[in-house]
Amino acid sequence: TAGNKIFQFGPCKVSMSMTEIRSGFNAIKTNIQARDPIRTLSILSHPHSLHKVKPSDRCCITHHLFNFYVDKVFKHCKTEDSYVNRKISSIANSFLSVRRKLGQCHEQNQCMCGQESTEKMKQILGNYEGLNVTSAAIKSLGELDILLDWME
Amino acid sequence: EDVLLPAPQNISILSTNMKHFLTWSPVIIQGETVRYSVEFQGEYEREYANESWIPICECSLIAATVCNITEDISATVAYNLRVRADVGGRRSEWGTLKGFFNRITTSLTPPVMKVIADGYHLLVELEDMGPAFQFSVLYWKKGQENRMQQKVVKEVSSVVHLDTMEAGPDYCVKAQTYVEAINRSSSFSQTQCVRAQGGTSMWL
Amino acid sequence: SGELYCSLPNPRNVHFESVNMKNVLHWSAPEGTGDGVLYKVKYSVYGVGKWIRKPECRNINRTWCDLSNETSDYEEQYYASVKAFLNGMCSDWIETTRFNPLTDTKIDPPMVSVSSTEKSISIILTAPEKWKRSPEGESVSLLQVYPGLQYNVSVLNKKTKKRWWFSISNNTLVVPWLEPGTAYCVSAQIHVTTPLLHSGFSKEHCIATLKDKTA
Repeated sequence: TAGNKIFQFGPCKVSMSMTEIRSGFNAIKTNIQARDPIRTLSILSHPHSLHKVKPSDRCCITHHLFNFYVDKVFKHCKTEDSYVNRKISSIANSFLSVRRKLGQCHEQNQCMCGQESTEKMKQILGNYEGLNVTSAAIKSLGELDILLDWME
Repeated sequence: EDVLLPAPQNISILSTNMKHFLTWSPVIIQGETVRYSVEFQGEYEREYANESWIPICECSLIAATVCNITEDISATVAYNLRVRADVGGRRSEWGTLKGFFNRITTSLTPPVMKVIADGYHLLVELEDMGPAFQFSVLYWKKGQENRMQQKVVKEVSSVVHLDTMEAGPDYCVKAQTYVEAINRSSSFSQTQCVRAQGGTSMWL
Repeated sequence: SGELYCSLPNPRNVHFESVNMKNVLHWSAPEGTGDGVLYKVKYSVYGVGKWIRKPECRNINRTWCDLSNETSDYEEQYYASVKAFLNGMCSDWIETTRFNPLTDTKIDPPMVSVSSTEKSISIILTAPEKWKRSPEGESVSLLQVYPGLQYNVSVLNKKTKKRWWFSISNNTLVVPWLEPGTAYCVSAQIHVTTPLLHSGFSKEHCIATLKDKTA
């Protein structure tokens, strides 16, 4: 089914076409992950897993992660494969529409940022900046299922 | 000096039930087969990727004047679309769709539905309209419109069981589609009424 | 011993086969090597810096290795790798693609139990359990792993040959107002919306409603 999901972050409610995003990602997952040779480093899940984030910080982390993907990641993922590029566009545009909704929550102070989420985002950006921009972007895109699994 | 090939005109979208097609008028060049190529640009590309355009390879150098863009219009944002013509090494300017296209404007038709009474069981057969669609099925005892019941059908698999019926009254059913991705519903189908079969039941 | 000369053809099709998160590494023997090939296996947690050898799969001649224990945390993702040895020669380490136990596992059909009265049948469905280390280990139903899990249930009237479909979230279904003395066959499937996962259909469980005592 369409697999739209309503994500509840405290008072903040965001609906998201999870199935569409996941099917877009699954279509290119093997291709994108094969472009990432670095097994020993993760952008999102190490050293601290997203799963350790306190519930109260979930909204803020999700909001920042969507900003991270829209602002930093997708634009550096262009490949020579037009099919892959089309799927990346599909995911990027879906992220854009979700980010807008998350942004509204953030503006209405329903998406508070605690110490932990600030630390977690600093660590993610640190992991990202530790690589050259294309490798970091491709690795982040290859870890999209880590974000989606955590969100669900 | 080569006459410039005219850009395709009358570019428009036909969008029904989340199936989206781009159409345009043919460019006529006597004795030549004109071919067309289509590109799209989502809101993300406009705002974050230097207004880049993405080619749709299934609609690259095609002779038809229609392109199925459903797979690429896969987010609820505003899309730009454009077409150009090619013939014998000559290429036209891009013809661009006037205004944006957002799938939220797709037209939704009521579902094709067949109501079945099988003994004391009320069943409905619904047309499979694709993964984006759910169905909201309303049913009630005739004359008791104020006591309607609803069933949401997410997985269409031929005959769906709604409820059991008492012997005697007619039971009426109508359905509408619902598309979560755009949070919109179709109008309702025609109402169909049936009665429990078997009249005086041998097992009552 | 001196450095082995690694020109043996590589193991092929190295991949995880996973059912209910029982995660087993499988591969095919190198081309043209016949019998006598031995293998070593290692695995790594994605994002963590080291490969870990699997002692129970060291110098084995079979072409599979159960890594369920090592990959049981489904909040992580994994790689595994295999190396082949024959007559003093060896192959390269050949890796899997990145394995995500949560999305890359297959799910068994639910268990179906059916009972009947004169006019109804009652169906109880049980989702399979996640793989566990030992029979005494704590049982975790896949319902806990996939909260959005639903069941699609098919009920076939053997007399009229008509099939009805039900889609339910809880695990019990009662179908009332049936014909006495009639055989009904029930089959069920698990369906998870996201991540998108389907089990196959269970085998059919047939039962007859009791005969009408008054007839």
